[in-house]
Amino acid sequence: MTKYIIRRILIAIPMMLAVSFIAFVLINLIPADPAEVALRVNEIIPTDEVIEAMREELGLDKPYFQRYLSWLWDVIRLDFGNSYINNTRTVYGEITRALPATLRLASLSLIIVILVSFPIAIFCAVYKDSFFDRFIRLLIFVGTSIPNYWVALLLIWLFSLKLGILPTSGNEAKGSIILPAVTLSLTYISTYVRLIRNNMIENMTENYVFYARVRGLKERVIIIKHVLKNSLQSCITALGMSVVQLLSGTVVIENIFSWPGIGRLCISSIFNRDYPIIQAYILMMGILFILCNLIVDIVHHKLDPRLHGGDIN
Amino acid sequence: MFLRHKAIRIVFIGLILIGLLIGCSPGGEENTDTVKSENNSENPPSINTEELVYANFRDIRDLNPHIYSGELFAQNLLFEGLVKITEDGVIPWLAKDWDISEDGKAYTFYLRQDVSFTDGYKFDAQAVKANFDAIYDNKDRHTWLELIRLLEGFEVVDDYTFRIKLTKPYYPLLTEMALTRPFRFISPNCMIDGTTKDGVDGLIGTGAYVLTENHIDEYAIFDVNENYWGEKPSIKRIIAKVIPDNQIRTLALEKGEIDILYGTNMIDADTYSKFDKMDGFEVTISDPVSTRMLIFNTTDEVLGDLAVRQAISHAVNKAEISEGIFQGLESPADTIFSKKIPYCNVDLAPYEYSVEKAQEILDNSGWIVNDNTKIRKKNGLALEVDMYYNSNNVTEKTISEYLQSELMKIGVKINILGEEEQSYEDRMKNGDFDITFNISWGTPYDPQSFLGAMRMPVYGDYEAQQGLDEKQKIDDSILKALTVTDERERQELYDYILTTLHEEAVYLPLTYQRNRAVFSDKVKNVTFNPSQFEIPFEKMYIK
Repeated sequence: MTKYIIRRILIAIPMMLAVSFIAFVLINLIPADPAEVALRVNEIIPTDEVIEAMREELGLDKPYFQRYLSWLWDVIRLDFGNSYINNTRTVYGEITRALPATLRLASLSLIIVILVSFPIAIFCAVYKDSFFDRFIRLLIFVGTSIPNYWVALLLIWLFSLKLGILPTSGNEAKGSIILPAVTLSLTYISTYVRLIRNNMIENMTENYVFYARVRGLKERVIIIKHVLKNSLQSCITALGMSVVQLLSGTVVIENIFSWPGIGRLCISSIFNRDYPIIQAYILMMGILFILCNLIVDIVHHKLDPRLHGGDIN
Repeated sequence: MFLRHKAIRIVFIGLILIGLLIGCSPGGEENTDTVKSENNSENPPSINTEELVYANFRDIRDLNPHIYSGELFAQNLLFEGLVKITEDGVIPWLAKDWDISEDGKAYTFYLRQDVSFTDGYKFDAQAVKANFDAIYDNKDRHTWLELIRLLEGFEVVDDYTFRIKLTKPYYPLLTEMALTRPFRFISPNCMIDGTTKDGVDGLIGTGAYVLTENHIDEYAIFDVNENYWGEKPSIKRIIAKVIPDNQIRTLALEKGEIDILYGTNMIDADTYSKFDKMDGFEVTISDPVSTRMLIFNTTDEVLGDLAVRQAISHAVNKAEISEGIFQGLESPADTIFSKKIPYCNVDLAPYEYSVEKAQEILDNSGWIVNDNTKIRKKNGLALEVDMYYNSNNVTEKTISEYLQSELMKIGVKINILGEEEQSYEDRMKNGDFDITFNISWGTPYDPQSFLGAMRMPVYGDYEAQQGLDEKQKIDDSILKALTVTDERERQELYDYILTTLHEEAVYLPLTYQRNRAVFSDKVKNVTFNPSQFEIPFEKMYIK
């Protein structure tokens, strides 16, 4: 087991390097000259001399690979440079400022997803093809099809404007996290209900369920202890990916709800061409994906005895 | 099994509790910028007659008055200049008076003696000099201002007298001194080693408000400066919330979470007309502040022909653009600058909308309609041009599509091409276009700064005008108009520049942009300053 974990971690390192290289290359592939952009965002007329001075300041006059290495060296020490827009703020500072708000939003969403999707999915699987199941299937279909910015506007219109029980946006008033968290979780709820339900239905036709019934176990025990447990295996993979998706998928929601998180930071950096922040964001999300993948693999390995040839008993 | 159930129940209850804890915890504290704070309230207090909630589409960012990355409305609240632009022209502010030497090269400012920065630092000639030193130390960033290029020196004459010397006389000096940046004064205590270019250590000005709290990307609180030297504003506290989404700003105003929306980029035509009809809200609109226009590239084979430029100018129905696209929020424009702009009240015959006239001009100059393609041709050259627009700009796209269909009626084929902002700007700068959009810089930069920039290859204007025989004369006249001291001569130079550009039809003015505000009807006296980037909060009151 330990050997497996060490091997997985060792594989993850070159992958992270590859991600860092992609993050670096992507930004450099943008046709605009970063020096000129850095000037233009500060409303400085980009004359040739000023551009030259800025290229030197940003180190753009050095060879490509050398620039990558020096950037990587800085990144390892968590020095992502300074923002183009707010020269006095470091990229690291900006990210650590925005991250807690997004973490709060994403974790509440995750909790809502788990609390809502599990009971519904189990119910749907047990009472397959009942009215409830059909109704939920329709809702899932609608839920995955509606773009979440539209759901957001509808929810704000209803709960803020008409009922007046929640604030429209922001982070300062009480309860302001509820609407963004609910909106963010809707798509995932639809996905998970479908995933768990189908897995459970599939598992119910397995031989072990048949034998459990033969053994005279209660239906409730079979569903919860055997079917659900076995169905959750594939959910863990999905859940691991969802954690990152929740963090990176807050862009639209954070903008609509004026939520001061990492998604807002990312989108405003894209609009302002604040390349150092965009670069750090790409890198961070890439590494998060790798880490979550790693954790999911390890958890899988631990949970599923078949994967490490362990003792089935 | 029972235990299992119990365990699951405990986990679920735990999750609910965590959820509630997260849901109810007021956020924001960890994102707080450390600002000298007298009020540590976590939430903005409820609305009262002394408090105004304003919404902006982005954070106030870095308010250092000597650089360009902060929000102008906020910089205006904190920092003041020597002079101020009003409808009656330039008036005293931190300078109570000034003299201009006969040759127009030396400006002597007599400072007010009753002013202090909010940290207690005395505002005097030394403080002014410290600020000028800091600004001049970073002069590369300010070269867009002719004043910086012409600056020969500045000196402290006595405790409350400060003098600026120029290499050439320059009449817009006072206008440029009145701009929100960079000639505004920050307490020398906030400078780092006597400079401001690498950041400042505090945001202390002499203004009517002080920044009390700043929660990045959430809201900022400005409280009235209790020791303000001038008349204290009626509104004691301004809360500037950040709401990036246009629709949410509108909903927040409707719900009463905010009191006012202000500015051209904050209020679209739909929002304006919606609140115009709604009870409990008011709207107001300013005089023209800037001009939306097209630039024709005179170096192009087709557009190099004056007849083509004039014919297109006659074929565009500006009234329809004004009503149909802007719902009357922008008024039709006949000239590059509105007649209300200084020096721009020049008698010019507008290119009246007439399809017949446009066709006649083209017929007479040898552009004949091809019966098959319906596109005109002259000496084998088709009357076909490329028009570029910024694809992020919905209005420009709509106007392009409208013009494409309209101009086809006179046998002119327009290929419209939307481009991403950065490429669009690069193309404009390099003059790599036939027709493109342009917006004048607006008051108080018009006409002098906008015209001044035509002389340098930094915007599309320079390249687009290269096909004009009189380009050199136009450039010389612009420079002369900026430096001549005789008022009549200056007006004559502007007459020449504006008339030539108009007759040569290099620009096709479409509409005049107007500043606007939408607000709750409890907010009174919402007005506009001559500078479109200022918001006169100090004149507003709540009733």
